[in-house]
Amino acid sequence: MTDTSLDPVPGSGPRTPPGTGAGTAHLGDDPAAPWRRSAKPGTRGRKQGALLRLRDEIPFRTRVVLACTGIAGLVVVWLLAAAWSSGAVVVPTPLATWNAFTDYWRSGELSTDLSASAVRVAEGYTISMVVGIVLGVAIGSFRSIEAFWESPIGFLRYIPATALTPLFLLWLGIDESPKIALIIAGTVFYNILMIADVTRAVPRELITASYTLGAGRLRVLCRVILPHSWPGIIDVARINLAAAWLMLVVAELLAAQDGLGYRMIQSQRFLQYGRMFAILLIFAVIGMFSDLALRGLRTLVAPWARP
Amino acid sequence: MTEPAIAATGTKAAPKLVLENIVKDFTGRRHKTVRAIDGIDIEVGDGEIVCLVGASGCGKTTLLNIVAGLEQPTSGGVTIDGEAIVGPGPDRGMVFQSYSLYPWRTVSENVAFGLECIGMSRKDRAERVQELLGIIGLGRFADNHPKELSGGMRQRVAIARALAPEPDILLLDEPFGALDAQTRRAMQEFLLLVWQRTRATILFVTHDIEEAILLATRIYVLSSHPGRVVEEITVPFGTNRGPSVLRDPRFLDLRDEIQELLTTQVER
Ligand SMILES: Nc1ncnc2c1ncn2[C@@H]1O[C@H](COP(=O)(O)OP(=O)(O)OP(=O)(O)O)[C@@H](O)[C@H]1O
Ligand SMILES: [Mg+2]
Repeated sequence: MTDTSLDPVPGSGPRTPPGTGAGTAHLGDDPAAPWRRSAKPGTRGRKQGALLRLRDEIPFRTRVVLACTGIAGLVVVWLLAAAWSSGAVVVPTPLATWNAFTDYWRSGELSTDLSASAVRVAEGYTISMVVGIVLGVAIGSFRSIEAFWESPIGFLRYIPATALTPLFLLWLGIDESPKIALIIAGTVFYNILMIADVTRAVPRELITASYTLGAGRLRVLCRVILPHSWPGIIDVARINLAAAWLMLVVAELLAAQDGLGYRMIQSQRFLQYGRMFAILLIFAVIGMFSDLALRGLRTLVAPWARP
Repeated sequence: MTEPAIAATGTKAAPKLVLENIVKDFTGRRHKTVRAIDGIDIEVGDGEIVCLVGASGCGKTTLLNIVAGLEQPTSGGVTIDGEAIVGPGPDRGMVFQSYSLYPWRTVSENVAFGLECIGMSRKDRAERVQELLGIIGLGRFADNHPKELSGGMRQRVAIARALAPEPDILLLDEPFGALDAQTRRAMQEFLLLVWQRTRATILFVTHDIEEAILLATRIYVLSSHPGRVVEEITVPFGTNRGPSVLRDPRFLDLRDEIQELLTTQVER
């Protein structure tokens, strides 16, 4: 083929197939064809750049570079803010924050606070997840249970869980129980509703196929609906874990003798900006690692469902 | 097609599956009832392969679902050996129009599902699965997951899974619809092989007229909206069918006749 594709005159040249008259040029020869508008002359289709393809992979190295740039950007913003820091708005430098962190660690307070907070979240969120799985799977599987629970849950979930704090403190005292109750109240409705959605996403054919293979309802529930739902349930756990930490901090800010949220309030009293920043970063790091851990659990439990 | 079948297996002798005057209404929008099936009578003899052909939306899947016990007819009755169907059971294996394998189970675990349901021991299960994987020619893929298989392989696994509990009746809903011509041909021969080996009674739904003639001992041509039987055709080929059937003049005549029937249905 010579460069006939660049031939500006339609219907001329060797591309007119024999048997077609001169007037019936091949469709591709029409320079005014609507699809030409989106293509460069001499090419067909639109070439896409490497970086901004919708939902497409980018090269691994580009990925690493972009991720590092993102982190670096965050640090730069922090450094700039610390440089501008003045009497009214104090922003500690990264170094000051690191020093505050090591102080916090050496004093032994960090480990007490961390374990106190982690235990509260673990207890509250475990209960919330268990309730969420039991009720969510039941609601997603049985229309009757859905009909019964849907309206009360739909009603109650609009009460901001943080608004329950004073009541819980009055009812349950100031020890562990109101904090755990608050974590449950702040997450359980989301867990139930999202897990119900995960369960509803089990394809109908899988369920009917199981019936035709002789499975009873209990077997379908345990051997079909649950295995299909586990990866989705773990994703729900991962997403709502942030809400559990949110509720924990609210509870600890108001009434606690230890815990990261309590230490935050203490640091405010003594104007320990470095320590406050250190605690914020600790939250971020905990969140990041639990996210990674739950992603790992997902691949472990359901290698077949890799996205 | 009124002359008696030359070698069709005991057609009228012992009807195994009987559908009597099946009517099925669905509630559509604004609670309007839509009649999907309007008085269908079908009989399937023991060890027969009966095909249902008809335009898209004429109620073939619905009919199979009713036989499987997954849906209840609005009126009319389905019996197998005189026993009424009240719900799904492992005596009626079904292969669905879309893939319905368990993605978290390996090929052999998928095939074993029905065997677990009837409480077969682990050892017997392994043996039976091995045998079935041999028949479908996927022994090497026993430990693969469905997403690692091609469409035709998945459909073979689905057939093996349905065959595993040794059902009385096999219901196949366009099982080869999504396959290319070569794979399709191979799967048709495979199904004939299974049929000759197991002597299963098969009710088969297809869009493909040639497939219907190649496989079936009898064919029901359905009309659409609502679904009715417009013609019952006995296929004059014996049980030992090979690709030579495709060149038989009677094959071509039958094909044209069914094509004609379906075309007038669409135009109507
Ligand atoms: N659950 C339902 N609710 C309402 N209408 C339905 C339902 N299921 C099927 N129908 C209607 O019943 C008719 C028959 O549907 P069916 O799925 O049995 O068709 P089909 O013959 O299997 O078609 P295809 O060849 O495309 O698979 C269709 O017109 C469809 O709209
Ligand atoms: Mg169908």
